[in-house]
Amino acid sequence: MDLDLLVGALTAGSLYALVAMGFNILYRPTNVFNFAQGDLVMLGAMFGATFITLLGLPWFVGAALAMLAVAALALVEEKIAVAPVLNRSASSHGWVITTLAVSMILANLVGLGWGPDPIAVRPPAPLSTDTFELLGANVSSYQIAVMVITVALVLGVEAFYGTRSGKAVLAVAEDRDAALLRGINPNRLSSWSFFLGGGVAALTGVLAAPELYASTGLGPSLLLKGFAAAAVGGIGNNRGALLAGYIIGIVEAVAAALLSPGYQLAATFAVMLVILLIRPHGLFGRAEARAV
Amino acid sequence: MGDAARALIRSPRTRPALLFALALALYLAPFAVGTEYRLFIATQMAAYVLVAIGLNLLNGYGGQVSLGHGALVAIGAYTVALAMVDHQWSFWPAALLAMVAAAAVGAVMALPAFRLSTWYFALITLGFAEVVGGLLTEWRELTHGFAGVVGIPKPVVLGHTLTSFDLYWLALSLNILALVGMANLLRSRFGRALVAVRDNPVAATAAGVSLVRIKMMAFVTSAAMAGLAGALFAVQKTVVTPDDFTADFSIFFLLMVVLGGAGRLWGPVVGAVVFFLVPELLTALQSWRMLIYGVALLLLMLYAPHGLVGAIETGWKRLRTRLGLSNILPAPSLATARETVQPVAGAALSVRDVEKRFGGVAALAGVSLNVAAGATHAIVGPNGSGKTTLLNMISGFYPVDGGTILIDGRSVVGMAPHRIARGGVGRTFQTPRMLPQLSVLDNALLGAFPAERQGAAAAALCLPRARREQAASLGDALRYLDFVGLADRAMELAGELPHGQQRLAEIARALVGRPRLLLLDEPAAGLSLAELDRLGELIAAIGALGTTVVIVEHHLELVANICRSVTVLERGTVLASGTPAEVFSHEEVIAAYMGSHTSVGQAAS
Amino acid sequence: MSAGATLLQVSGLEVGYGHVGVLRGVDLAVSEGDIVALVGSNGAGKSTLLRAISGLLRPSAGRVVFVGSDIAGQPPHRIIDLGLLHVAEGRRLFRRQNVHANLELGLYGARLDRAVERQRYDFVYELFPMLAERPQALAGVLSGGQQQMLAIAQALMRQPRLLMLDEPSLGLAPIVVDQVMEVLQRLRAAGTTILLVEQMVERALDIADHAYVLQNGAVIGSGTPEAIRGGDLIRRAYLGAVSDRGA
Repeated sequence: MDLDLLVGALTAGSLYALVAMGFNILYRPTNVFNFAQGDLVMLGAMFGATFITLLGLPWFVGAALAMLAVAALALVEEKIAVAPVLNRSASSHGWVITTLAVSMILANLVGLGWGPDPIAVRPPAPLSTDTFELLGANVSSYQIAVMVITVALVLGVEAFYGTRSGKAVLAVAEDRDAALLRGINPNRLSSWSFFLGGGVAALTGVLAAPELYASTGLGPSLLLKGFAAAAVGGIGNNRGALLAGYIIGIVEAVAAALLSPGYQLAATFAVMLVILLIRPHGLFGRAEARAV
Repeated sequence: MGDAARALIRSPRTRPALLFALALALYLAPFAVGTEYRLFIATQMAAYVLVAIGLNLLNGYGGQVSLGHGALVAIGAYTVALAMVDHQWSFWPAALLAMVAAAAVGAVMALPAFRLSTWYFALITLGFAEVVGGLLTEWRELTHGFAGVVGIPKPVVLGHTLTSFDLYWLALSLNILALVGMANLLRSRFGRALVAVRDNPVAATAAGVSLVRIKMMAFVTSAAMAGLAGALFAVQKTVVTPDDFTADFSIFFLLMVVLGGAGRLWGPVVGAVVFFLVPELLTALQSWRMLIYGVALLLLMLYAPHGLVGAIETGWKRLRTRLGLSNILPAPSLATARETVQPVAGAALSVRDVEKRFGGVAALAGVSLNVAAGATHAIVGPNGSGKTTLLNMISGFYPVDGGTILIDGRSVVGMAPHRIARGGVGRTFQTPRMLPQLSVLDNALLGAFPAERQGAAAAALCLPRARREQAASLGDALRYLDFVGLADRAMELAGELPHGQQRLAEIARALVGRPRLLLLDEPAAGLSLAELDRLGELIAAIGALGTTVVIVEHHLELVANICRSVTVLERGTVLASGTPAEVFSHEEVIAAYMGSHTSVGQAAS
Repeated sequence: MSAGATLLQVSGLEVGYGHVGVLRGVDLAVSEGDIVALVGSNGAGKSTLLRAISGLLRPSAGRVVFVGSDIAGQPPHRIIDLGLLHVAEGRRLFRRQNVHANLELGLYGARLDRAVERQRYDFVYELFPMLAERPQALAGVLSGGQQQMLAIAQALMRQPRLLMLDEPSLGLAPIVVDQVMEVLQRLRAAGTTILLVEQMVERALDIADHAYVLQNGAVIGSGTPEAIRGGDLIRRAYLGAVSDRGA
């Protein structure tokens, strides 16, 4: 396979893995899958583009502000669209529709706020999107940075789940009542998880912007590809999401090369479906026991 | 409000008369207010209503969230367009092909739904919609790409080309047929089974419903309707392009269903009407459309989860209460005279060396027991001894790790639970598994699911054979409700019954299936002393009919009074087995329960 | 023999699930330093009572006073902060996490110094040496007895004043039940007050200072273990109506 394609695939795959990780972080304590996640990523890109390109703020400041803004929005989403539905009945699936509604609202707001034209975002110095030769492939320093940052983030989030708070989140996901009995407050953990997941989404958007351009069309495709990465890797498993992201990036690149770019999504979906039908819990996921 | 008003509200002839008048008005409307534009909008709305009715079946009643119905409409529209333009087909076979194509794709879309959870499925349908949208553009050889298919001719009937008036009437007629068919279907065993699959799949399985088949039926039906709507869409617009079928398109249908009222028959109609009228009034806010829809959807799910029709129904019920009218419908009267319940040939149960492991823990380590046909047998033991696990294995809800289970000599190991139920095994659960939004009678009728043979089409068309079967099931359900003592509460909502009576209703549901083997899981739990007496008498009466009854229980006195034989389990093995008198004076049994010297047998004898 | 002040006082407690009234007017008192047993057959409402005390369930009426504060209706984490811990039935552990993580979660929200936390770990590992042997083992692969010990240990990390246990003997071999009961006695000696719910009446009465008998959601009697054993209460609680009707 053409090495240049591979580099592109791994970079794109890293971004999909980050979207998936955002999903997983939100999912862990709530068992809710956020349909607005793609829009949160897009918002991160747009905020980042505004702060960095339009307002000229330093890259890290702009990125941090974008993360804060989107994290706050995610928190609001949790309060108004997720918590009320979950409180009504634990097994309700109303959140599918409420998070979908939030997605519609956000998409429209972004379209109205920023218009349809994409905004170019330049990576922070000394990184750039200019390519140079490395081991026979053309790769840019920015692409390397994205891949490295992704791996670092995955490891960092994994490390978080090793702390007491992280273990508490895993505990809530496993047995909510038992967690309550040990003084863990599931509602607070849900809120914090949405905050964190929103921040990760924003960072994903900011990172994606130089490659994918900050535009309002980003949302839906990232939602689906991020979901594919999360599902194939096993929902809740971040390392699985990383590998799955790479797999999807490669499938996309191969489909674009063999068929045509328009068939990318179809190919990705076909592969995802096949994997899920064989292993419904993803490549690294774990089956839950059923109780009657 | 006067007596006249009350009489009008109460009369059973009011509703059909109103509906007929409404239909007539709609047919005649074009002559009064029909402009080309209005006819166009009305026909398009009718097509949307068709999709929404199908989606309501799948989502509102079946509980499956599909975000891919727009793609199914696209498939229907493109099928008709390509067939008529590229291959000169007439509209009518093309429309049929469109329904078949959409139904086939719907079946394929349904496959992941059986193995994956609800929200996975929603995302997969969303992805599906995007993929189809992309393919419509990419697969130029088939779909004509960006430009789409132009010049779709109007349908022709016996040489007469349909005008816009005719199209409108066609669409209206299809809608009326769809609504009537849907009403029939929902009233039939399929409607109940679908609601059961949504609200309590375990209860549905125990009543013999195949979850897979019911979900597939809902998918295929809703997909076919979407395909038909697509056909209408194509000939009305005469041009179909990929732009007509964005992913947002699917979301509109979901919005219509939720807005109108998911799980309410008229929901899709109300939802489509409101959905169409609002943009007409808000043309200035065109660019805010998705925002408004999003906010509307959010507010609906939070404050009015049953949509407009649900809100109207709640208001109507309150009005009736204030007028002094009961909200409980009268029970249907039995045409047949009061027949008694029929005796049943009980099945013999043989369990041999059965094992069950959960992870590393052996829940059952080689349990054997035999129950003669027609006998009443109890399985007792302390908590954690494996009683419910054994019951779950006999009824097929847990797979068997080792050993055999024979019912009337036939092995049921490896059989799916709904098939075991259909084979004549009924059961109840530790916590009664009811469908709280349906009446007690409907819950009992669920038990009749396997007894009826009518297919979904026959039910929708209300064929004579279907009606006969429904009447027979109704008779059975009423008889068994009477048998357990709930006849006077048949029309109340099951969710509002006190715990003890829910338990009786569950037993009635199991009995309606005429089980030869009845498994009761802790039927006495939570019952008052009076209810305990009634339960004992009821179980004795069931046994007298010939049914083999196996009870898991803690109430040792109840067991001693009504059971011929008892098996005592302790930590996954059989501790003792025999008649109640033998078993309860056994030292080890007493020790297992209390670690003590008090003799249970003394009081029981 | 009861000594010490009343640590927990339950008065007129009523709890229901939807339409079902499970507890009707329960009165119960636990004195500091005692092991109080709560016995009754299945469905009597024992677990419901504990869940109402620890905050998992909201009572519809009545009071629960613990160390002078009314805790009825409070969220569980506040009740834990006051020193009332509940070990639920069925050994509700976090099976996907290891022994040490489970213990660490026992300290969640405790806000203690490192040194104090270290002491808690030491105390617990000393009391349950089999846990000290395999701190990295996943809780899900431990045996039933080990899981029960871990569940108790997890609660002990907070040094509770009152420890409530729901059927710790569930599904355990007699020898292991002995071990559990022995641990409870050691805890009492160390100053922990214990409210023990058990279906295994004799075991519970063997170590209790005071006992309550629950049937159909109400307390039908209470007293010292000897008084309970000597009387008719146990038979009534387990066998149901026969004796009641005759009386």
